[in-house]
Amino acid sequence: MLQLIFFNVTNGLIIGAFYALMAIGLSLILNLSGVINFAHGGFLVIGGYLAYALTPRLGFWGALIVAPFLTALIGFAVERLLIRRLYGRDPLYSLLLTFGLAFIIEDGTRQIWGANGLPFSVPAALTSPLSYQFFFITGYRMFMVAMVAVVVALLFVLLRYTRIGVRIRAGTLDLETVAALGVNVRALRSLNFAVGIFLAGLAGVLAAGQIGLEPTMGDALLMPSFIAIIVGGVGSLTGTLLGGLLIGVASGLTAVIFPSASEAVIYVMMAIVLLVRPRGLLGEEGMLT
Amino acid sequence: MIKRVGVAGFDRRALLKVGAAAGLAQVAAPFVISARGEAPIKIGVANPLTGTYAAPGKNESIGMQLAVDQLNAKNGILGRQIELLAEDSTSGDAGAAVQKTRKLIERDNVDFLVGNVNSALAQAMAQVSNEKGVLHIVPGGHTDPITGTDCKWNVFRVCNTTRMEANAVSDLLFKTYGKKWHFITPDYAFGHTLYQGCEADLKKLGGTVTGNELTPLGTTDFSAYLIKARAANPDVLVVLVQGNDMVNCLKQISQFGIDKQIHVAGTQQELEPVEAMPPEARVGVWMFEWYWKQAAGTPGLDQFIAETRKRSGGKVPTARTWFGYVTIHAYALACEKAKTIEAKAAAKALADLELPPEIKLQPNKVYFRGGDHQLMLSAFLGELLQTGDGDPENLFKVNSIVAGDSIAPSVADTGCKMNMPA
Repeated sequence: MLQLIFFNVTNGLIIGAFYALMAIGLSLILNLSGVINFAHGGFLVIGGYLAYALTPRLGFWGALIVAPFLTALIGFAVERLLIRRLYGRDPLYSLLLTFGLAFIIEDGTRQIWGANGLPFSVPAALTSPLSYQFFFITGYRMFMVAMVAVVVALLFVLLRYTRIGVRIRAGTLDLETVAALGVNVRALRSLNFAVGIFLAGLAGVLAAGQIGLEPTMGDALLMPSFIAIIVGGVGSLTGTLLGGLLIGVASGLTAVIFPSASEAVIYVMMAIVLLVRPRGLLGEEGMLT
Repeated sequence: MIKRVGVAGFDRRALLKVGAAAGLAQVAAPFVISARGEAPIKIGVANPLTGTYAAPGKNESIGMQLAVDQLNAKNGILGRQIELLAEDSTSGDAGAAVQKTRKLIERDNVDFLVGNVNSALAQAMAQVSNEKGVLHIVPGGHTDPITGTDCKWNVFRVCNTTRMEANAVSDLLFKTYGKKWHFITPDYAFGHTLYQGCEADLKKLGGTVTGNELTPLGTTDFSAYLIKARAANPDVLVVLVQGNDMVNCLKQISQFGIDKQIHVAGTQQELEPVEAMPPEARVGVWMFEWYWKQAAGTPGLDQFIAETRKRSGGKVPTARTWFGYVTIHAYALACEKAKTIEAKAAAKALADLELPPEIKLQPNKVYFRGGDHQLMLSAFLGELLQTGDGDPENLFKVNSIVAGDSIAPSVADTGCKMNMPA
């Protein structure tokens, strides 16, 4: 039993790292632009399908690098053409827009690549388990966690030490003042949106290696990501990271004790956090009010 | 009318009108003729076009359209052309499915209803069709009650019941793989009845269940369940989840190397998820409800495959394509037999209807059982092929084709009490 719990905690951390990757992208966009991006799962799907289309030409590794950039480019265009028109309006407008976009992306991928799922393989070198004992720690999952760690580290460096990063962080706290100081807020938001979508695209490529690549694959991953943000605290990327890991471990552990609640447990966690500490574990008071 | 205008004297305006009408009549002639003939027979389809079950829904549509095209080319049904009206039932919203069903019956006045891939939606639709007295075939929703405890005079089913699926595979798994089984079961109607069937069969054979992991529909990560399953050390890991869940589960089983330690098998397997898996995930012993690669010379099979390819972007038919194809042809045969499309008479003709070779496309006798309106279709037992047997499209090696009535429980055991109206 103890071993089973240890296994599931480790396993939960692996899954949680993946949730965190998606949630951080969502969180970036939410913090700076105030947009709750319901199409994030759709962009994840685009990332996965682009990787599938690119793999025959570039191989898995090439696709892993190129597909997220292409996804980010699409995200950039979407922000320029659609999302930016709704800044400054009630958040409900952008929520409806991204909600609709999610449907358009789902049906669009279905039109282009077909309703049936597509086979996506990862390099054989990554598929074998670490050991007989720790069979659930495969090369691929280690690689996923490593990717998440690297990307998150890079993101934190970007936000802390670069001019753009400082502006994004400042904008999160007080966009008007940042704009008044002469920063091009429009460009900043476009760039920030593209970075968020880049993370969704990357998550899509990584997810396609482990779950089926099909037009609705983003749906099941979107809600846990939102919950990771709420649990971790709106406005705090560290909190989002923590939230992702926490819900991963929680659902992994619940699967041992009471499997049919493994999905519900993350919602229960969210409810408890909202009741006891509404700003989230590491969230700042008064964000998004 | 025209004469009266003439008699009333030549008014220039009237003349122009008549001239225009006569001219239009020439252009519109074909429509006028068809309107003079009997109105087309309307078939209403409420099946998933979006969501998780969009792929099987699409393939059933291809099979239906193929059958309609074939029938229309040969004078339709009882000399009337057939028109297919399709609605998106969604993949899991019973409310939407019922609303679309009502729309098809009340507003479009369809003569015949088809649906649904999702068992729960099929049951909800059957309530409506029964209330309205419309003949209804369920092409691909498997849960037992549809032709069991909930059976209805107007409702027929083409695909297997979950009990038939369990019976088809249990014996083989027990003999070849061992007696300790661990289940991964989807947590809804279909999974529950399928598990019950397997469990009952296993107990009868003298085996034991080491555990049953109930997984929510739409599970993406099966690792927690697989950790538990392996810790229980069974002989066989029986995977009952379907669709995308099947893809995710088998993909992760192969990445974890579980298939090299425990036998992996299951009951129902379909070509749609198998095509969506990478080769290394295609493992285990399964049952297909219909498979395209059969003995050469099976009547009508080559034509069915060729016609399907034309409509599916070159892909081979799946069991879903066949379900759709059989559904329409069975309805046509029943109407021809009854010499009417009136629901009660057609239902009587459909009960005990045997499918001719070019429709059944398989060796054993295939017929609707009068007692519960369940089609007795064969089970194709065999193993998945990772990369095809010299043919990249052939992903399943059929070892035996078992007749449907040999795996179906008796009508009394299904719990169906059929009440045919007088």
